[in-house]
Amino acid sequence: MVARVAGVFDEKLTEAIANSKILVVGAGGIGCEILKNLVLTGFPQIEIIDLDTIDVSNLNRQFLFHKEHVGKSKAQVAKDSALSFNPNVNIVAHHDSVISNDYGVSYFKQFNIVMNALDNRVARNHVNRMCLAANVPLVETGTAGYAGQVELIKKGLTQCYECQPKAPQKTFPGCTIRNTPSEPIHCIVWAKHLFNQLFGEEDPDQDVSPDTADPEAAGEAGASALSSEGTTSGNVDRKSTRQWAAETNYDAEKLFTKLFGDDIRYLLSMENLWKKRRPPTPLTWDNLPGKDDPPTQHSGLPDQRVWSVHECAQVLANSCKALQADLAGRPEGDHLVWDKDEKSAMDFVTACANIRAFIFNIPTKSRFEIKSMAGNIIPAIATANAIVAGLAVLRAQAILRGLTAAATSVYLRPKVNHRGQLFVPEKALTPPNPKCYVCAPKPEVGLACNLKSLTLKDLTTAFKDGLNMQAPDATVEGKGLVVLSSEPGETDHNNDKTLEQIGLNDGCALLVDDFLQNYEVRVRLQQEDDEKSWRLVTDTDAPMPAPKEEEKPANGSNGSNEPKPGPSRTRADSESDMEIIEEDDDETTVKPPKRRRTEMSDEVVELC
Amino acid sequence: MVENTDVELSEAEAEQYDRQIRLWGLESQKRLRASKVLIIGLSGLGAETAKNIILSGVKSVCLLDNEKLKEIDLYSQFLAPPDKIGENRAEASLQRARALNPMVEVSSETRAVDNLPDEYFTTFDIVCATGLKQEQLERINNVCRDNNKKFLCGDVWGMFGYMFADLVDHEYSEEIVQHKAVKRGPDDNEKNARETVSITVKRRAIYVPLQNALSADWRKPELRSRLRRGDPSYFVLKILLRFRDEQNRNPDPAKRKSDTETLFRMRDELVKELSLPSGFISDELLTDVYGVVAGAAAVVGGVIGQEVVKAVSQREPPHNNMFFFNPVKCVGFVELYGQ
Ligand SMILES: [Zn+2]
Repeated sequence: MVARVAGVFDEKLTEAIANSKILVVGAGGIGCEILKNLVLTGFPQIEIIDLDTIDVSNLNRQFLFHKEHVGKSKAQVAKDSALSFNPNVNIVAHHDSVISNDYGVSYFKQFNIVMNALDNRVARNHVNRMCLAANVPLVETGTAGYAGQVELIKKGLTQCYECQPKAPQKTFPGCTIRNTPSEPIHCIVWAKHLFNQLFGEEDPDQDVSPDTADPEAAGEAGASALSSEGTTSGNVDRKSTRQWAAETNYDAEKLFTKLFGDDIRYLLSMENLWKKRRPPTPLTWDNLPGKDDPPTQHSGLPDQRVWSVHECAQVLANSCKALQADLAGRPEGDHLVWDKDEKSAMDFVTACANIRAFIFNIPTKSRFEIKSMAGNIIPAIATANAIVAGLAVLRAQAILRGLTAAATSVYLRPKVNHRGQLFVPEKALTPPNPKCYVCAPKPEVGLACNLKSLTLKDLTTAFKDGLNMQAPDATVEGKGLVVLSSEPGETDHNNDKTLEQIGLNDGCALLVDDFLQNYEVRVRLQQEDDEKSWRLVTDTDAPMPAPKEEEKPANGSNGSNEPKPGPSRTRADSESDMEIIEEDDDETTVKPPKRRRTEMSDEVVELC
Repeated sequence: MVENTDVELSEAEAEQYDRQIRLWGLESQKRLRASKVLIIGLSGLGAETAKNIILSGVKSVCLLDNEKLKEIDLYSQFLAPPDKIGENRAEASLQRARALNPMVEVSSETRAVDNLPDEYFTTFDIVCATGLKQEQLERINNVCRDNNKKFLCGDVWGMFGYMFADLVDHEYSEEIVQHKAVKRGPDDNEKNARETVSITVKRRAIYVPLQNALSADWRKPELRSRLRRGDPSYFVLKILLRFRDEQNRNPDPAKRKSDTETLFRMRDELVKELSLPSGFISDELLTDVYGVVAGAAAVVGGVIGQEVVKAVSQREPPHNNMFFFNPVKCVGFVELYGQ
């Protein structure tokens, strides 16, 4: 059917298209555009997969969706709209996560090309591994604002998505968040943690109360603070914040008094913290700045107006009530998941972040700005998506034509480079990194940790978060001893044992395997007494291929062969943090099959 | 140039345009919302351009075309449904164009450009023309120029494409990122105590009309030296415009063999005329110029759409003055001609 009109393409391409089968992963901004191009060009067999439903903020670029589609499946609506362009093609839509046992290696093998139009690293890593395992060419795409890129990934021929260490997630020391915030983002992270403590999934790493173990405050401060404040905060801290809040019926004034009065006074008592810093100012509920201010004239969007502290307290009270009601309407044990597009959740974080910022003499921000920061929004626009999707489909045509070696990465730059280039192709394919712990013939990686303190549960986290595995199994090399099993219950009884307790020692190697991803890696354990958590160590002897200079506008700017960071790494340089991804709601296309994660994955709090 | 930018956005607009406002700011969005755009030629490129401009949230878009929808259009023209073959391309595109963004007024005009008076074109803030002959493009460009209106044109032949812009005397603001040292507490070390601040500067760009750009004198040494950079896209455009002017049509997929021969002959003539190095314009570039390939239309339509946004919002430096997409190398670049 492709040759609606013969002669548009040469015979070879016409035939290759007619016999092709393409998988599009993601039906967001780029996915809609790719699907349109494929359907118009006459690609006869297409499958599209997306877990997400349509939101009103998608409509400025995801042009296959209209207002009446809000709330519906992206994959299904995209299919229906695209078929109206060309009813003669066959599209299969999956409203599903690509990370699922339903889409195994044999599923991927049926396609000539897989085209990624994803918005998050977890799913990209996963599809990368599936395409390597199935040996199917993967066309990887992404945009961020005006910039974007298209990259071919082909086993053995090019580097894979994980060949170069990606810029680490931005992390903040826990004591900065809990004790000594100095930037708006610290207060925003704290406010999101508070949301989770009160309404979301409780996570001990997201404690919002003063951290008495802060090394800076060590010694007398903590002790004297405890004895003087023993009855109020001491008691409160032993209870979970959630339990305490529930007992007060989420009373806004009580909550406020504890968080912005008592806790701040407690921090003040840790005197060492304030020797070189400006100390915070505790607030009292009925005497807040801005209470008697007349309404100010504001131009711009309502969300761009910065609230007074008094207004923040009102918003806190109202959003708290709404969230409490939401939580109460759910089954016992369920919790809320913070979402920047949920009004009350966003109001709550804006109000709490600003009140805390005021207390610490940090500039307060508008709801509009806080939404960008809290929601990790990288704005996406129609034009950049259209360009990247157009380039991606032209690259796919070249691959089908047999010109794979010429299908180099192309970068869309936000502004032309010194040679006047707006789309910059690389001169040649970048070969695989022989030391890549994903696509090397015998993948290997080091794991630095303290075997005396790292538990088996922590090890599972290291494999999932550090090695992006979904369901890891691990055995001791040479012994066949099963250390971790992805079968529920099989090794759970060992979860709290340390690696040393189960007999693992320095230099010992584990074979870690993910059945779904068809991926096995040899992990060398390295004892490090000072390591508080864990850290991946990639081979530093053989440098990885350096990325080409200016042709990497946004992604992959960190070409150095640093150890891949785990959560205990020191704070990331924020300049290198930008990764090209298409903005959409974080993690939307990912639903790990066996566990539930909160949406809090964009910051990691370090242990102090 | 665009007026009535003082009205605040409605809640629905703020919600729908949330992401792009975060990128280009509220002022730009207000300017977009006040601007009137004319799109001439509803081929695949016209459809792509219309889609991007309508999604951006301008005041109004008029789709102008006097041609009928043909089967070959369906390779890239997704605004016109396949069952409307034989109907006027602009009218056939109306319904879907409106559905893209109900907040934008979309209308159609079915008269040929040659039958429209000069004043017609000056009722818009910006005109984007595709599919016309050089002479028609120059006429509309000059009308716009005389009335201080912005003019863009472009085309896609197969996988090859270009864009030209005449924004006359264009003032715009540009955001420049600077690094500033800050120190708030003892936690701040050298590295994290730096903050990026962006400042906005005003700039101005002067453009030339299309006839200047297309009649660049290649005997001049400054242009001669450009040949060494080795991209012949400018000449491919000259050949394809000449083909359209002489044959009164675009290269036809049904006559792929004979039209390719014609194109090669025209190439050889041009090489001789401008004393270009032989082999400079490869055969490869002239063989994939049939129909409008969807991927290429998306690419060039994306560039034109973004340039319209930049032009009416007067934000960020617009391209001055020609953009080419060379599909053989997959390179897209901007060069200034005719100045
Ligand atoms: Zn690799």
